[in-house]
Amino acid sequence: MNDADRRTKLMQLAAGAVFLAIVVVVALIVVNGSGSGGDAENIEGAAEVSDSLSGIPQNEMVLGDPSAPVELVEFGDLQCPVCKGFAEEILPPIIENQVKNGEVKLDFRNFTIIGPQSVDAGAAALAAGTQGRGWNFVELFYKNQGIEDSGYADDAFLEAVAKGAGVKDLAKWNEDRKLLRPKVEETTQEAQQLGFNGTPSFAIKGPGTKGLETIGTPNSTAAFEEAIEESR
Amino acid sequence: MSFPSEDILRRAIAFVAALGVGVATYIAIAESGGGSPVCLAGGTGCRTVAESSYSHVAGVNIAVFGVIGYLLLLATAFFANDLARFGGFAVSLGGLGYSVFLTYIEIFKIEAICQWCVASAVLMTILFLLNATRLIAYGGNELQEAR
Repeated sequence: MNDADRRTKLMQLAAGAVFLAIVVVVALIVVNGSGSGGDAENIEGAAEVSDSLSGIPQNEMVLGDPSAPVELVEFGDLQCPVCKGFAEEILPPIIENQVKNGEVKLDFRNFTIIGPQSVDAGAAALAAGTQGRGWNFVELFYKNQGIEDSGYADDAFLEAVAKGAGVKDLAKWNEDRKLLRPKVEETTQEAQQLGFNGTPSFAIKGPGTKGLETIGTPNSTAAFEEAIEESR
Repeated sequence: MSFPSEDILRRAIAFVAALGVGVATYIAIAESGGGSPVCLAGGTGCRTVAESSYSHVAGVNIAVFGVIGYLLLLATAFFANDLARFGGFAVSLGGLGYSVFLTYIEIFKIEAICQWCVASAVLMTILFLLNATRLIAYGGNELQEAR
Protein backbone atom coordinates (compact mmCIF):
# COMPACT_ATOMS: atom_id res chain seq x y z
CA MET A 1 0.00 0.00 0.00
CA ASN A 2 1.47 3.36 -0.95
CA ASP A 3 1.41 6.53 1.14
CA ALA A 4 -1.59 7.98 -0.68
CA ASP A 5 -3.66 4.85 -0.12
CA ARG A 6 -2.67 4.65 3.53
CA ARG A 7 -3.59 8.29 3.93
CA THR A 8 -7.01 7.82 2.35
CA LYS A 9 -7.69 4.82 4.61
CA LEU A 10 -6.60 6.73 7.70
CA MET A 11 -8.77 9.71 6.85
CA GLN A 12 -11.76 7.42 6.27
CA LEU A 13 -11.14 5.75 9.63
CA ALA A 14 -10.80 9.15 11.32
CA ALA A 15 -14.04 10.41 9.77
CA GLY A 16 -15.80 7.24 10.90
CA ALA A 17 -14.43 7.70 14.43
CA VAL A 18 -15.64 11.31 14.54
CA PHE A 19 -19.10 10.26 13.36
CA LEU A 20 -19.23 7.47 15.95
CA ALA A 21 -18.09 9.82 18.74
CA ILE A 22 -20.81 12.35 17.87
CA VAL A 23 -23.48 9.62 17.85
CA VAL A 24 -22.31 8.23 21.20
CA VAL A 25 -22.17 11.65 22.92
CA VAL A 26 -25.61 12.64 21.63
CA ALA A 27 -27.02 9.26 22.72
CA LEU A 28 -25.47 9.60 26.20
CA ILE A 29 -26.91 13.09 26.59
CA VAL A 30 -30.37 11.99 25.40
CA VAL A 31 -30.38 8.95 27.73
CA ASN A 32 -29.21 10.98 30.72
CA GLY A 33 -31.40 13.96 29.90
CA SER A 34 -34.58 12.05 30.58
CA GLY A 35 -36.01 10.74 33.82
CA SER A 36 -34.23 13.19 36.09
CA GLY A 37 -36.64 12.50 38.99
CA GLY A 38 -38.30 15.05 41.22
CA ASP A 39 -41.45 14.99 39.09
CA ALA A 40 -44.73 14.96 41.04
CA GLU A 41 -46.65 14.01 37.90
CA ASN A 42 -44.56 10.95 37.32
CA ILE A 43 -43.75 9.02 40.49
CA GLU A 44 -42.10 5.75 39.53
CA GLY A 45 -41.42 2.49 41.32
CA ALA A 46 -44.31 2.40 43.82
CA ALA A 47 -45.13 -1.25 43.13
CA GLU A 48 -41.48 -2.24 43.34
CA VAL A 49 -41.09 -0.53 46.73
CA SER A 50 -44.31 -2.08 47.98
CA ASP A 51 -43.16 -5.55 46.88
CA SER A 52 -39.73 -5.22 48.47
CA LEU A 53 -41.20 -4.17 51.84
CA SER A 54 -44.30 -6.35 51.90
CA GLY A 55 -44.61 -8.60 54.90
CA ILE A 56 -42.09 -6.62 56.98
CA PRO A 57 -43.58 -4.95 60.08
CA GLN A 58 -43.31 -1.15 60.18
CA ASN A 59 -43.73 0.78 63.37
CA GLU A 60 -43.32 4.54 62.83
CA MET A 61 -39.89 4.73 61.14
CA VAL A 62 -38.71 1.33 62.34
CA LEU A 63 -38.66 -1.43 59.74
CA GLY A 64 -38.58 -5.00 60.98
CA ASP A 65 -39.56 -7.10 63.96
CA PRO A 66 -39.84 -4.76 66.98
CA SER A 67 -38.17 -7.46 69.11
CA ALA A 68 -35.18 -7.87 66.76
CA PRO A 69 -32.00 -7.98 68.88
CA VAL A 70 -30.03 -5.53 66.72
CA GLU A 71 -31.18 -2.03 65.83
CA LEU A 72 -29.45 -0.31 62.91
CA VAL A 73 -30.13 3.42 62.84
CA GLU A 74 -29.71 5.43 59.66
CA PHE A 75 -29.36 9.18 59.93
CA GLY A 76 -30.28 10.36 56.47
CA ASP A 77 -31.45 13.32 54.44
CA LEU A 78 -34.06 12.48 51.81
CA GLN A 79 -32.52 15.01 49.41
CA CYS A 80 -29.05 13.44 49.70
CA PRO A 81 -27.96 11.57 46.55
CA VAL A 82 -25.51 9.41 48.51
CA CYS A 83 -28.40 8.28 50.79
CA LYS A 84 -30.31 7.33 47.64
CA GLY A 85 -27.30 5.28 46.53
CA PHE A 86 -27.24 3.47 49.89
CA ALA A 87 -30.98 2.81 49.75
CA GLU A 88 -30.75 1.36 46.27
CA GLU A 89 -27.44 -0.48 46.31
CA ILE A 90 -26.12 -1.24 49.78
CA LEU A 91 -29.09 -1.67 52.13
CA PRO A 92 -31.48 -3.90 50.11
CA PRO A 93 -29.60 -7.16 50.91
CA ILE A 94 -29.68 -6.24 54.63
CA ILE A 95 -33.46 -5.69 54.42
CA GLU A 96 -33.93 -8.86 52.38
CA ASN A 97 -31.95 -11.01 54.83
CA GLN A 98 -31.24 -9.72 58.32
CA VAL A 99 -34.39 -7.56 58.59
CA LYS A 100 -36.76 -10.09 57.06
CA ASN A 101 -35.47 -12.90 59.24
CA GLY A 102 -35.96 -10.86 62.39
CA GLU A 103 -32.31 -10.33 63.36
CA VAL A 104 -32.21 -6.60 62.66
CA LYS A 105 -34.61 -3.68 62.72
CA LEU A 106 -33.81 -0.58 60.69
CA ASP A 107 -34.63 2.82 62.09
CA PHE A 108 -34.63 5.84 59.76
CA ARG A 109 -33.98 9.14 61.53
CA ASN A 110 -33.81 12.49 59.77
CA PHE A 111 -30.51 14.34 59.75
CA THR A 112 -31.45 17.28 57.56
CA ILE A 113 -28.39 19.07 56.25
CA ILE A 114 -29.11 19.87 52.63
CA GLY A 115 -31.86 22.49 52.66
CA PRO A 116 -35.24 23.60 54.07
CA GLN A 117 -37.11 21.11 51.90
CA SER A 118 -35.17 18.31 53.61
CA VAL A 119 -37.13 19.17 56.76
CA ASP A 120 -40.44 19.21 54.84
CA ALA A 121 -39.59 15.85 53.27
CA GLY A 122 -38.40 14.37 56.58
CA ALA A 123 -41.60 15.40 58.38
CA ALA A 124 -43.66 14.00 55.50
CA ALA A 125 -41.85 10.66 55.93
CA LEU A 126 -42.55 10.64 59.68
CA ALA A 127 -46.22 11.39 58.98
CA ALA A 128 -46.33 8.44 56.57
CA GLY A 129 -44.71 6.43 59.36
CA THR A 130 -47.70 7.04 61.65
CA GLN A 131 -49.74 5.11 59.05
CA GLY A 132 -47.23 2.28 58.74
CA ARG A 133 -45.87 3.58 55.44
CA GLY A 134 -42.73 5.41 56.59
CA TRP A 135 -40.25 3.15 54.80
CA ASN A 136 -42.38 3.02 51.67
CA PHE A 137 -42.25 6.82 51.67
CA VAL A 138 -38.47 6.94 52.22
CA GLU A 139 -37.70 4.36 49.54
CA LEU A 140 -40.12 5.84 47.02
CA PHE A 141 -38.77 9.34 47.67
CA TYR A 142 -35.24 8.11 46.94
CA LYS A 143 -36.39 6.39 43.75
CA ASN A 144 -37.83 9.67 42.52
CA GLN A 145 -35.27 12.02 44.03
CA GLY A 146 -34.58 15.13 41.95
CA ILE A 147 -31.51 17.33 41.66
CA GLU A 148 -30.09 18.11 45.09
CA ASP A 149 -31.90 21.02 46.75
CA SER A 150 -33.37 22.30 43.48
CA GLY A 151 -36.82 22.99 44.96
CA TYR A 152 -38.51 19.88 43.58
CA ALA A 153 -39.56 18.54 47.01
CA ASP A 154 -42.59 20.79 47.26
CA ASP A 155 -46.05 19.92 48.62
CA ALA A 156 -47.22 18.44 45.30
CA PHE A 157 -44.18 16.15 45.10
CA LEU A 158 -44.46 15.06 48.75
CA GLU A 159 -48.16 14.33 48.35
CA ALA A 160 -47.53 12.33 45.18
CA VAL A 161 -44.88 10.28 47.01
CA ALA A 162 -47.25 9.77 49.97
CA LYS A 163 -49.98 8.53 47.63
CA GLY A 164 -47.53 6.22 45.84
CA ALA A 165 -46.28 4.95 49.19
CA GLY A 166 -49.79 3.85 50.06
CA VAL A 167 -50.62 6.44 52.74
CA LYS A 168 -54.36 5.91 53.16
CA ASP A 169 -55.50 8.97 55.09
CA LEU A 170 -53.98 11.94 53.28
CA ALA A 171 -55.80 14.52 55.42
CA LYS A 172 -54.28 13.02 58.58
CA TRP A 173 -50.89 12.79 56.86
CA ASN A 174 -51.13 16.48 55.97
CA GLU A 175 -51.92 17.36 59.55
CA ASP A 176 -49.26 15.07 61.02
CA ARG A 177 -46.45 16.35 58.83
CA LYS A 178 -46.88 19.82 60.32
CA LEU A 179 -46.94 18.46 63.86
CA LEU A 180 -43.89 16.24 63.34
CA ARG A 181 -41.45 18.94 62.20
CA PRO A 182 -39.96 19.33 65.70
CA LYS A 183 -39.19 15.60 65.67
CA VAL A 184 -37.08 16.16 62.52
CA GLU A 185 -35.09 18.90 64.27
CA GLU A 186 -34.71 16.63 67.29
CA THR A 187 -33.09 13.75 65.37
CA THR A 188 -30.91 16.21 63.46
CA GLN A 189 -29.59 17.46 66.81
CA GLU A 190 -29.14 13.88 67.97
CA ALA A 191 -27.00 13.16 64.88
CA GLN A 192 -24.87 16.21 65.57
CA GLN A 193 -24.44 15.16 69.19
CA LEU A 194 -23.29 11.75 67.99
CA GLY A 195 -20.58 13.59 66.04
CA PHE A 196 -21.93 13.02 62.53
CA ASN A 197 -21.33 15.67 59.89
CA GLY A 198 -22.60 14.03 56.71
CA THR A 199 -25.35 11.75 55.46
CA PRO A 200 -25.95 8.90 55.52
CA SER A 201 -24.41 8.10 58.91
CA PHE A 202 -25.19 4.99 60.88
CA ALA A 203 -25.31 3.81 64.48
CA ILE A 204 -26.02 0.37 65.86
CA LYS A 205 -27.36 -1.07 69.10
CA GLY A 206 -27.38 -4.71 70.11
CA PRO A 207 -26.46 -7.13 72.90
CA GLY A 208 -22.78 -6.67 72.01
CA THR A 209 -22.73 -2.87 72.12
CA LYS A 210 -22.73 -0.35 74.91
CA GLY A 211 -25.92 1.43 73.96
CA LEU A 212 -26.10 3.14 70.58
CA GLU A 213 -22.66 3.04 68.98
CA THR A 214 -21.73 5.03 65.89
CA ILE A 215 -20.36 3.16 62.89
CA GLY A 216 -20.01 6.11 60.53
CA THR A 217 -20.74 5.34 56.89
CA PRO A 218 -19.86 1.72 56.08
CA ASN A 219 -19.32 1.64 52.33
CA SER A 220 -20.51 -1.86 51.49
CA THR A 221 -23.14 -4.42 52.39
CA ALA A 222 -20.36 -6.64 53.76
CA ALA A 223 -19.22 -3.85 56.09
CA PHE A 224 -22.78 -3.58 57.45
CA GLU A 225 -22.97 -7.34 57.92
CA GLU A 226 -19.73 -7.23 59.87
CA ALA A 227 -21.02 -4.41 62.10
CA ILE A 228 -24.24 -6.37 62.69
CA GLU A 229 -22.26 -9.49 63.55
CA GLU A 230 -20.12 -7.58 66.06
CA SER A 231 -23.15 -6.07 67.78
CA ARG A 232 -24.88 -9.40 68.34
CA MET B 1 -1.46 25.08 4.17
CA SER B 2 1.61 24.81 6.33
CA PHE B 3 1.62 22.74 9.49
CA PRO B 4 4.09 22.75 12.38
CA SER B 5 6.64 19.95 12.06
CA GLU B 6 5.56 16.62 13.50
CA ASP B 7 8.36 16.91 16.01
CA ILE B 8 6.87 20.10 17.44
CA LEU B 9 3.39 18.58 17.52
CA ARG B 10 4.71 15.52 19.35
CA ARG B 11 6.47 17.65 21.93
CA ALA B 12 3.33 19.73 22.45
CA ILE B 13 1.21 16.56 22.81
CA ALA B 14 3.67 15.14 25.34
CA PHE B 15 3.63 18.38 27.34
CA VAL B 16 -0.17 18.77 27.44
CA ALA B 17 -0.71 15.03 28.10
CA ALA B 18 1.73 15.24 31.03
CA LEU B 19 -0.29 18.14 32.45
CA GLY B 20 -3.42 16.02 31.96
CA VAL B 21 -1.89 13.10 33.85
CA GLY B 22 -1.21 15.54 36.70
CA VAL B 23 -4.74 16.97 36.76
CA ALA B 24 -6.49 13.58 36.49
CA THR B 25 -4.22 12.06 39.14
CA TYR B 26 -5.01 14.96 41.47
CA ILE B 27 -8.78 14.46 40.97
CA ALA B 28 -8.47 10.68 41.50
CA ILE B 29 -6.41 11.06 44.69
CA ALA B 30 -8.43 13.99 46.09
CA GLU B 31 -11.64 12.03 45.74
CA SER B 32 -10.44 8.68 46.98
CA GLY B 33 -8.75 10.31 50.00
CA GLY B 34 -12.06 11.43 51.45
CA GLY B 35 -13.14 7.98 52.65
CA SER B 36 -16.75 6.97 52.10
CA PRO B 37 -18.72 9.52 50.15
CA VAL B 38 -21.29 11.36 52.24
CA CYS B 39 -23.47 14.40 51.65
CA LEU B 40 -22.27 17.47 53.48
CA ALA B 41 -24.03 20.74 54.13
CA GLY B 42 -22.95 23.54 51.78
CA GLY B 43 -20.92 21.30 49.48
CA THR B 44 -18.78 23.11 46.94
CA GLY B 45 -18.75 22.46 43.19
CA CYS B 46 -16.07 19.80 43.16
CA ARG B 47 -17.52 17.96 46.14
CA THR B 48 -21.00 18.01 44.61
CA VAL B 49 -19.61 16.67 41.34
CA ALA B 50 -17.49 14.04 43.09
CA GLU B 51 -20.48 12.87 45.14
CA SER B 52 -22.78 12.60 42.16
CA SER B 53 -23.60 9.26 40.65
CA TYR B 54 -21.80 10.32 37.46
CA SER B 55 -18.37 10.34 39.13
CA HIS B 56 -18.07 6.55 38.94
CA VAL B 57 -18.55 4.09 36.11
CA ALA B 58 -18.86 0.44 37.17
CA GLY B 59 -17.54 1.43 40.60
CA VAL B 60 -14.40 3.02 39.18
CA ASN B 61 -13.72 6.72 39.65
CA ILE B 62 -13.81 8.27 36.18
CA ALA B 63 -10.62 10.21 37.00
CA VAL B 64 -8.83 6.84 36.81
CA PHE B 65 -10.00 6.51 33.19
CA GLY B 66 -8.70 10.06 32.69
CA VAL B 67 -5.24 9.11 34.00
CA ILE B 68 -5.16 6.08 31.67
CA GLY B 69 -6.28 8.19 28.69
CA TYR B 70 -3.65 10.87 29.28
CA LEU B 71 -0.94 8.21 29.75
CA LEU B 72 -1.93 6.63 26.41
CA LEU B 73 -1.77 10.05 24.75
CA LEU B 74 1.62 10.67 26.33
CA ALA B 75 2.80 7.32 24.95
CA THR B 76 1.65 8.17 21.38
CA ALA B 77 3.89 11.24 21.43
CA PHE B 78 6.96 9.00 21.62
CA PHE B 79 6.32 7.25 18.31
CA ALA B 80 6.18 8.69 14.80
CA ASN B 81 4.12 6.12 12.94
CA ASP B 82 0.53 5.82 11.77
CA LEU B 83 -0.50 3.69 14.73
CA ALA B 84 0.60 6.43 17.13
CA ARG B 85 -0.96 9.17 14.97
CA PHE B 86 -4.32 7.42 14.68
CA GLY B 87 -4.19 6.10 18.24
CA GLY B 88 -3.58 9.61 19.59
CA PHE B 89 -6.40 10.96 17.47
CA ALA B 90 -8.84 8.22 18.54
CA VAL B 91 -8.03 8.45 22.27
CA SER B 92 -8.23 12.24 22.30
CA LEU B 93 -11.49 12.10 20.31
CA GLY B 94 -12.94 9.70 22.90
CA GLY B 95 -11.64 11.94 25.68
CA LEU B 96 -13.11 15.03 24.07
CA GLY B 97 -16.48 13.32 23.55
CA TYR B 98 -16.57 12.17 27.16
CA SER B 99 -15.53 15.65 28.36
CA VAL B 100 -18.39 17.19 26.36
CA PHE B 101 -20.81 14.72 27.97
CA LEU B 102 -19.46 15.38 31.49
CA THR B 103 -19.57 19.14 31.03
CA TYR B 104 -23.19 18.83 29.91
CA ILE B 105 -23.93 16.73 33.01
CA GLU B 106 -22.17 19.23 35.29
CA ILE B 107 -24.11 22.19 33.90
CA PHE B 108 -27.56 20.71 33.37
CA LYS B 109 -27.85 17.75 35.73
CA ILE B 110 -25.58 18.22 38.74
CA GLU B 111 -25.76 22.00 38.37
CA ALA B 112 -22.27 22.40 39.80
CA ILE B 113 -18.97 23.15 38.12
CA CYS B 114 -15.71 21.69 39.29
CA GLN B 115 -12.72 23.71 38.12
CA TRP B 116 -10.47 20.62 37.96
CA CYS B 117 -12.91 18.90 35.62
CA VAL B 118 -13.00 22.04 33.48
CA ALA B 119 -9.19 22.08 33.40
CA SER B 120 -9.18 18.48 32.20
CA ALA B 121 -11.79 19.25 29.52
CA VAL B 122 -9.66 22.16 28.23
CA LEU B 123 -6.50 20.01 28.13
CA MET B 124 -8.38 17.24 26.33
CA THR B 125 -9.70 19.74 23.76
CA ILE B 126 -6.15 21.01 23.11
CA LEU B 127 -4.92 17.42 22.79
CA PHE B 128 -7.65 16.63 20.29
CA LEU B 129 -6.72 19.66 18.15
CA LEU B 130 -3.01 18.74 18.27
CA ASN B 131 -3.68 15.09 17.44
CA ALA B 132 -6.13 15.96 14.65
CA THR B 133 -3.54 18.33 13.14
CA ARG B 134 -0.90 15.63 13.43
CA LEU B 135 -3.07 13.04 11.73
CA ILE B 136 -4.20 15.38 8.93
CA ALA B 137 -0.70 16.70 8.26
CA TYR B 138 1.34 13.51 8.66
CA GLY B 139 -1.10 10.56 8.51
CA GLY B 140 -0.10 7.92 5.93
CA ASN B 141 3.33 9.43 5.58
CA GLU B 142 5.69 6.74 6.79
CA LEU B 143 8.63 8.76 5.42
CA GLN B 144 8.09 11.14 8.31
CA GLU B 145 9.10 8.44 10.74
CA ALA B 146 12.67 9.54 10.95
CA ARG B 147 11.84 13.10 11.86
